[in-house]
Parts: sequence; structure tokens; C-alpha cells
Amino acid sequence: MKDLLDFKRYRLQNGLRILLLEDHTLPIVSYQVHFQAGSRNERPGITGISHLFEHMMFRGTTRLQPEEFSKIIQARGGVVNAFTTQDHTTYWENIPSEELELVVELEAHRLKELRITEESLRTEREVVRSERKMRIATTPYGAAVEELYALAYLRHPYRWPIIGWDHDLKRLTLDECLRYFRLHYAPNNAVVVVAGDIDPQKTLALIEKHYGDIPPQEIPDDPVEPEPPQRGERRAVFKKAVELEAFFWAYHVPGIESEDIYPLMALCHILSSGRSSRFWQGFVRTGKVTELRAVVDPPPFWPKDPALLIIYGVLPPGRNSDLIQKEVEEEIERLKEKGPDEFEVKKARNGLKSAFLRGLENLFFRALLGGIYEIKTGGFEGCWRVLEGYEAIDEERIRSVARRYLEGDNRTCVLVKPVSLEDHERLGLLE
Amino acid sequence: MKLSLFSPEDFLVFDLDSGVRVIALSCGKVPLFYATLMIKAGAERDPLGKEGLSDLVAESLTLGTRLKGPQELNREIEGLGASLEATSHWDSSLLSLSGPLEYSGDLLRILREVLFEPSFPGDELSKAKERRMAKLMELKDNAPKIADRTIWNLAMDGTPYSHPIGGTLNSIPGLAREDIIRFYKETYIPQRATLLVIGKTHPRRLLEESKKALQGWPAGEAGQDPPLASPRKGKKILILDRPDLTQSEIRVALPGVARQNRRYLAFKLMNYILGGGGFSSRLMERVRSQKGYTYGIRSSFHALRIPGPLIISTFTPTETTYAAFEEILSTLEGFAKEGPSPKELQEAKGFFKGNFPLRLETPSQLAREILQLELYGLDLGELLEFPERLGRVGLEEIRELASDHLRLDDMKVVIVGRSEAFLKYFEGLGTVEVIPYKDVSP
Repeated sequence: MKDLLDFKRYRLQNGLRILLLEDHTLPIVSYQVHFQAGSRNERPGITGISHLFEHMMFRGTTRLQPEEFSKIIQARGGVVNAFTTQDHTTYWENIPSEELELVVELEAHRLKELRITEESLRTEREVVRSERKMRIATTPYGAAVEELYALAYLRHPYRWPIIGWDHDLKRLTLDECLRYFRLHYAPNNAVVVVAGDIDPQKTLALIEKHYGDIPPQEIPDDPVEPEPPQRGERRAVFKKAVELEAFFWAYHVPGIESEDIYPLMALCHILSSGRSSRFWQGFVRTGKVTELRAVVDPPPFWPKDPALLIIYGVLPPGRNSDLIQKEVEEEIERLKEKGPDEFEVKKARNGLKSAFLRGLENLFFRALLGGIYEIKTGGFEGCWRVLEGYEAIDEERIRSVARRYLEGDNRTCVLVKPVSLEDHERLGLLE
Repeated sequence: MKLSLFSPEDFLVFDLDSGVRVIALSCGKVPLFYATLMIKAGAERDPLGKEGLSDLVAESLTLGTRLKGPQELNREIEGLGASLEATSHWDSSLLSLSGPLEYSGDLLRILREVLFEPSFPGDELSKAKERRMAKLMELKDNAPKIADRTIWNLAMDGTPYSHPIGGTLNSIPGLAREDIIRFYKETYIPQRATLLVIGKTHPRRLLEESKKALQGWPAGEAGQDPPLASPRKGKKILILDRPDLTQSEIRVALPGVARQNRRYLAFKLMNYILGGGGFSSRLMERVRSQKGYTYGIRSSFHALRIPGPLIISTFTPTETTYAAFEEILSTLEGFAKEGPSPKELQEAKGFFKGNFPLRLETPSQLAREILQLELYGLDLGELLEFPERLGRVGLEEIRELASDHLRLDDMKVVIVGRSEAFLKYFEGLGTVEVIPYKDVSP
């Protein structure tokens, strides 16, 4: 599969890294710009600024009206969007290959000539607060997951949500946004990926032409304080007007560069992926729970710094979770003691490989793989390791990570307790 | 340069004597295999009071066969790194298997077993029904999904499509094993079936393996399709009162077109300009970009065997609920009166034309497009002629469509939110029904 991920790396004098991937199957290109600017680059008081700034990048330049950037590209058949994670912000366009120069020019232009005003900040702040309500307040358990992260991390910036705390969003200033832009949106803090129907030399020349004159910046030191080891279980109760009780457990696990991520992926697969999984067979099938899953973000989305493996369960109506939580603990203890059986190892290996291969059908995903590995780890070559990592999964490695990480002292629990509407209002509406 | 991943030599269509059509397609970048068996019958065939039947029938195929219990079946599939899904939709039910290409023969054998020899085990069916009921209770906490279900039912009222595909808390307990077997026997027949197989190998190999897998499927009685009823006309406003929310869900439905309608493509362009085109759409421009009332607003339409609705969806903080709704109404009125501008139409056409190869990039995308055409009896050639047909749609045609369909006297509205903050404004528009959220039964 290496031929599908055969990126070539280049670097401009101003420090901009460029990854090119040729594929002439269809006349399409995926163009992506990844900045090392995610919620881990924030501090209390400006939480959510990375994501808010992602929105501001569409609010106009010295020559473009708000959202005109997207309209121009869409009118040529392109799809435009962006997303912010804990570790980076990514802007992307999937376009017909004949429109490549247009997109290179427009992306470089907004870096050089972005225009943000008090008025556009005011409008976009409210848009983001509405997005926050959608993700946190309107969903049944969004606010509880927010609490889970805040409790599991004491020092590390992963403790606040990517979208930011509402009180920070309300007070962020234009000056703070401009400063953030100046420090983080520099060529020496970015990776450009161009994948698809391209001529590498012409593409490089295009990027040099449009980005070459952007000066590098002094990138601030990485502010991140490592999270100290957890010294005992942490528990919280979250009361909300919901129909069903639910529980969320988080275990600290290492970051994307650890070899342990592959057996940890397998561990989650064995516990809850598909109808032959332990959680389905022992709990969901029999109606003990409505939902029970063990989840981590698959590579390349697995966080850069030590992450969380989350196990969550939703109970059927009127049921209390005490007994079920105990049974889930017993299932995990069995796995730690006896390890997975031969079938489970084979299933995890084959299932994870199939899911990864399915992603490679898509040019956009392949470009993301290269770009995100490069911005998070400094080397896109990490994406070549994924299939090998899955291939190397064995019984001992799975048992070993289960024993090491799924351990009581390393766990944070949030229990969601349903309450009446009156009690919910008494506790305060969620923002 | 090819515009899509397949050319005629990669593509084989073969009708078996039993009536089932097999489409084999060679494409893909990785050694995976995709098989989808489509039955041209879906949730619109659920009998009154038995809503959710077709979807439960689909799931029940995966609950065990005469040869294997559910766990043995699941282990066989998942051990290969494959996955099996069976779901019902409007007008169709789909049985999909995908996994490594090297196991294509095994996967087709499993598909045959699941399709021909389901055992419908009573205890597993009871558990499946219980799981569905619990999921519906979970759904009640999800205001956006409750809004989606409610607007759909309201918009399709008067047709066999006016219920949730998965059924309701009231209907699921009454779905008996005999209902399931009867539905299966009446609808899972070769005359209603198409098998689409895709893999990075010679299509002849895929075709031969598929023919073998479907060998001996006895023909059944195709029976009658439900009548082509039209949704009930008239305006209706429904508020689901949920005082704990700080943000309201807003849905507005208007009459759409059937998939076979000759103006389908024009409708697609109209929808893009109105609310389907993201930041290029009028609704996004007005409600998000200019006013900042929401993170997102979009319109989508559902072209079925009968006209499905065009639905506008958004959410906004409680205090801007009516203001956002008013912006939607004035955008609709403006569009119905004046139609699109030449620039808007040119840009919409530019999007669909340029975007064409991007929409047909992966096997899954191709499968979706091909099966949609097959479902509604449309020529597969339509797929490749899309850019030319697009060019033929004129401004006047969209103007007429907008005037015919964007009619406020025929709109259905659903709001989920804290009604005391905005009810009085809606009452100015006509009769408003308010339902306390505790009385909402999914």
C-alpha cells in the first residue's frame, strides 16, 4: 500500500513544508494546509481561540468579502472546509485538478491579506457559541464528556474543549485573535499537502510563487506541561434532564508516536467492534445496556500527547448503572488476566486493516494521513507504519496494554444521573 | 482523461432467469470487495400499526441462519475482517457485505446463506425489539433527531411514508415473528432484487461468483406497490416545548418532487441555490453570514417514488428563534417571487459539473449512485451524461419550480425549544399546536 502514500517532501526557504502525492486516476486534487495550532496551543482565558480563528479565516480579506473564498471555489466544483483539533487546524479543498492554481493563490492570499474586524468577530463569536450549544448543551451527554476531560487532565491543555469554554468565547478580543494569527499562521508552522492529478514540478513552482514571499515567524515555545501520572481514581456525578443514565470512564494512554496505539486499537476493537465483540455479546445483545463502547481516535486522528481511551455505557430506561459498571469491570479483568483468544486477535487484525484500507480509497483521506502525521510528528512516514502496526498485533501485546492502562488508579469516571426538568433548571441551564 | 473510475469495459450487467439483476464493476484502489443486494421495497410497505417492520426484517436476516446461530455467523464474518449490514430505507432495503477481496467467494456464500436461509430465531427477535425500544428512549434526549422525525411525519402525512423507518415505541412491541416471515416471503424475491458487486478485479470474475451465489433463488409473487398518494396539503405549525434547552431546533418542510420527475435535476439546482450549497446558498448567507443566528443552516430534498419533502434545518439560541425563522420565511418568499439570478444558476451548474468526478471517486460513492438509478428504473447512462443534462436546465424552469414549491401556505413547521420565549410570535402566523416534551413518544 506504500505506493498509495508515496509522498515527496519539499521545503521552501521560509520554512513551509510541502508534501506532494501524484495520482492520475481521476482529474481531482485534494489541497490541504495544516497549521500546528490547536487547542493545546491555548491557555486559560483564550480557550477556543484556535477554533474561532478557523472561522475567521473565511470572513474576508483585503479583496474578498466574507465567505467569498468558499463561494469562488464551490462555483468551480470544489468542496471547501476546515476543522480544528486539539493539535492542529486544517484547511482543505477537494477540487477539479484544473482549478489548482486558483486554490493555491486563494489560500496564500488569505494568509497574507486576511481582514478581520470587530464586526466580523462579533458575528462569528455568536456563530461559534451556537455551535458550542449544538455540541455541548443540546446533545444528551456532550457536557458530561466535557467534564470528563476537565477531570482527567489537571495540567495539560487537553483538559478544555476544542470549542472553548463559553465564558472565554464571550470575552475574546480582536487583539488576542490578531496576536494568535501572527504567532501561529506562519509558513514555518505549516504543512501544505497537494495530492492527486498534479505535475510535481509545476505544483512546486506554483506554491513557491504564491507562498515564497511570506516571511517566517518566531514560533513560541511549546507551552505544554506534561500531565502528571494519575494517582488514584477520580469520580464525578453530572445531573441533567435526560431519559437514560450513562457512565463515562477515561483511561490515560500514550500519544500517537507510541507503538502501543496499535494494540490499544485492537483492545477497543475486541471489546466493542461488531456483533461478535465482548460488549455486544455480553451486554448489548442481552439488553443490559443500550450502548457500550470502548473508543480511541484512530490514526492519524489519535492525539499527539498522551490521550484518553474512553469506555461509555448508556443504560436502558429506569435502570441504575452500579451493577453494570461492576460487570464491565469484571469483563476487563478477564481480558487482562487471560488475554484475547486466537479468534479475537485475528478479528482485530483483519478488521482494523480493512477499515484502514477502506479509507485509502479516498484521496482526501490519504492526503490527511500524510499531512496530519507530518504536522503532529514531524514525519509523514508514520502513516506507512499503520498497516505494519496492525499486522504486528498479537495476544501478548494486547494483554500487556490492557494490564498497563486499564487500571483503576488511571481511571476517571463521570456518571450521568437523570433528574427532573425542575431540578435541571435549579442546577442552571447549560451554555 | 476519464471522468469517473469506470469505463464500459469495467462494467457488466446481467439479468438472471429468476429476475434478479447483477451489476459487476471493476474499480477501487485497494484489495477490498463490496457487495450490496438491494430489494426494491422498503419502509413504505410497513402495514398500519406495524411501523418498523421492514427494518426489523432486514436486521433479522443477520440474526442467524438454519446452519448457524447469530454468534457463529458474526464470528465468521468479522473474523475475515468483513462487515455485514442490513437496513431498510424508503423504497428499498439493503443487505451489504464488504471485506477483503481475497474472500469475495466466502462473502458471497455468506450473503447467499443470510438471504436464502434466515432462521428468524424468536428469542433473538425479542431481544432485537427490546434494543430498538431502548434506542428510541435514548433518542428522546436528542432534540435534533426528534425534530427530524417529527417534521418528516408531518410533511409526509397522508402517505405510506409518514412514519419513522425504525418504527415507534407503540408499534415495535406488536411486530410478531409471523409478520416478519410474511414480509420476507413477499418482498425478498428475485424480481425485486439487484446485486451490485465491486472489486479491483476483472468484472467477469465478480459476475460469475455472483451468479453462483444467487443460483436457485425461486421466483415469488411480486404483488402490488403501495398507491402513489400525495402528502396532505396546507400549513401546520407544531412546537415541542422543552424548557431545559438554551437553543431551539427549527425545521421547515415544503413539497418536493419524485425521483422520476423530469424536473428532478432543476430541483437539485434550485435546492443548491436555496440552502443545499453551503456558503453559496441564500439561507446560509442570510441566517449565518449576515445575522450570525446559527452555526449551520441547510436545505435538503428527498426524491422518492412519490414526492418527498424539501426540508430546511437549523438551530439557534432560544432568544433568536423567531428572528431566525423570519429570515427563513423572507428568503423563501424572495426566492419564490424572483427565482435565481443568472449568476447563481451559473455557479450552481459550475459546482455540480466540476464536482462530478469527486462524487464518483470511491466504490461506496459509485454504489450509491448506481443503486439509486436502478431503484427508480432510470438508465445507468444518466450517470455519465449528467454534465450535459445539467447544461440544459434553464433559468425559467427553476423560476417556475420555486414559484410552485416554495409556498408558505403549504409549509409544515416544527420547533423544539423553550416555547415560552417565542410562542406568541408564532401565533401570529396561524394555529400553533404546542406539545409538552414529556408527551413526545418517539
